[in-house]
Amino acid sequence: MRMNLLEVDAVTKRFGGLTAVSRFSLTVDAGDIVGLIGPNGAGKTTVFHLLSGFYAPSEGAIRFKGASVVGAKPHAICRRGLARTFQIVQPFVNLSALENVMVGAFNRTGDVKAARQCALEVLDFVGLGARRDVLARELTLSDRKRLEMARGLATRPELLLLDEVMSGLNPTEIEEIIGLIRRIHAQGVSLLIIEHVMRAIMALSQRIVVLHHGEKIAEGRPADVARDPTVVEAYLGEEA
Amino acid sequence: MTAEVFAGLALGLLVVAPPFLPPYFLEILISVMLFGYLGAAWNILGGYAGQFSFGHAAYFGIGAYTSTLLFLRLGVSPWLGMLAGGVLAAAFGLAAGYLSFRYGLRGPYFSLVTLAFAEMLRVIAVNTKAVGSSLGLVIPNREPAPVNFVFAGKLSYYYVILAMAVGAVWITRRVARSKLGYSLLAIRENEDAAEASGVDALGMKLRAMAISSFLTALGGTFYAQYFAYIDPTITFGPSVSIQGLLQAIVGGAGTVLGPVVGAFVLTPMSELSRAALRGRAGVDVMLYGIVLILVISFLPRGIVGSLRRPGKGRGNPPGVPLQ
Repeated sequence: MRMNLLEVDAVTKRFGGLTAVSRFSLTVDAGDIVGLIGPNGAGKTTVFHLLSGFYAPSEGAIRFKGASVVGAKPHAICRRGLARTFQIVQPFVNLSALENVMVGAFNRTGDVKAARQCALEVLDFVGLGARRDVLARELTLSDRKRLEMARGLATRPELLLLDEVMSGLNPTEIEEIIGLIRRIHAQGVSLLIIEHVMRAIMALSQRIVVLHHGEKIAEGRPADVARDPTVVEAYLGEEA
Repeated sequence: MTAEVFAGLALGLLVVAPPFLPPYFLEILISVMLFGYLGAAWNILGGYAGQFSFGHAAYFGIGAYTSTLLFLRLGVSPWLGMLAGGVLAAAFGLAAGYLSFRYGLRGPYFSLVTLAFAEMLRVIAVNTKAVGSSLGLVIPNREPAPVNFVFAGKLSYYYVILAMAVGAVWITRRVARSKLGYSLLAIRENEDAAEASGVDALGMKLRAMAISSFLTALGGTFYAQYFAYIDPTITFGPSVSIQGLLQAIVGGAGTVLGPVVGAFVLTPMSELSRAALRGRAGVDVMLYGIVLILVISFLPRGIVGSLRRPGKGRGNPPGVPLQ
């Protein structure tokens, strides 16, 4: 049996009278790439906030590597090996690319030289090596998305949550990010990905979970999910 | 590297030249060093961590009162009292910081709370007979005794505050080049993203607070020993808090040398214009205000911050936060 890296058990998140996520369950095993899709406002980013400790669930349990992360602060969850990116990229704009990634690298070391070394490797890995001294505020959107991923990777996660890292990018850039995600996976990092770029999420994911009005309405292989009538109605239908 | 050579030469001059200065300039230089020191202490929390304290007078006052009371009442050497004041101020800073940060006070709300803490201490001091109420405390005339932080001439005080300022800059440099420094900058830039990247924001901010408040308190003891008189308004009043942060902002918040550079610009300007415009009360303050407006308009990242080429080294925040 493979290890359940992440177990989400019937998690509900309410904001006052609004139920953003309702009895949502999900497992991610080591080595998985799982796609999380759904129309705008379905609750995908809320799920990420719950998993990464920015929100506490109203009900339900979240376990990472077998231990509950409910109530843990984001940095403590990151320390345990679950990192995330933000849908709207949140670089440290007045710091250089290198310094941005070093902040992530300090998750695993207290030594400046070691953090710098790790950050340089990660920057090369995501293709930002040549731009390491550029201030984050001066990077293009595409580079900022890479920087966001690099900062997450530098924390040396076992599970990386990617929140729409392809939105706003052109087809060439999307291809490059798909390649990058495959290389991240090849390094042994499991991935949970929110994405609106259907072609990309279908190609990358081994399994797809569909969220609609905060509830899971489908889960399965990409081809099966794409044919599921409920999904077509809720998601693809709305897009048309 | 050139900056380091320049700083080294400047330091050499600051060590060698003062014995040959007329007393008036020596006094100005002592003020420069004291404000540069206070700016550097504030800078660790305000410049690096981006937590704009308006209440560093609290720590300054705790330092001044602790060493003075220990000396007057128990005969404890102010050198020891200085350390005691630093520890007490750090404890107060940690308590105030924990209460503020724990409940998520950021930006202007944090600034207002720190101001309130300092005002609270000022009012307590004004109303407490045991600490001299609003009359304050006088350290009576005494024979010079270096062991009790009493020197014959101003020159010795100058070298004490010079050493303190150099120490504060050295500590800032150590912090800036450590995990703590990177973490503080990340928090200043974006606290949520910092947390998501594994930065313990609360813990790091409290560390910055402890260092900053400890150092500020030592400045309070120096002030008390140098002027031999303290009262609640001088030590706990808002002007001390503002003086410290102004040096840092004008010189370059979040830079190692910024606060000291700021003090070299602001303090002589303030002193000289006050002397030149004696008899026209208030004009010097207006002039000071105009220069501040000009600096903040045209050098929003401070003097040192603006000298830095973009893309090279550590950035510092654009403009004065608190918008």
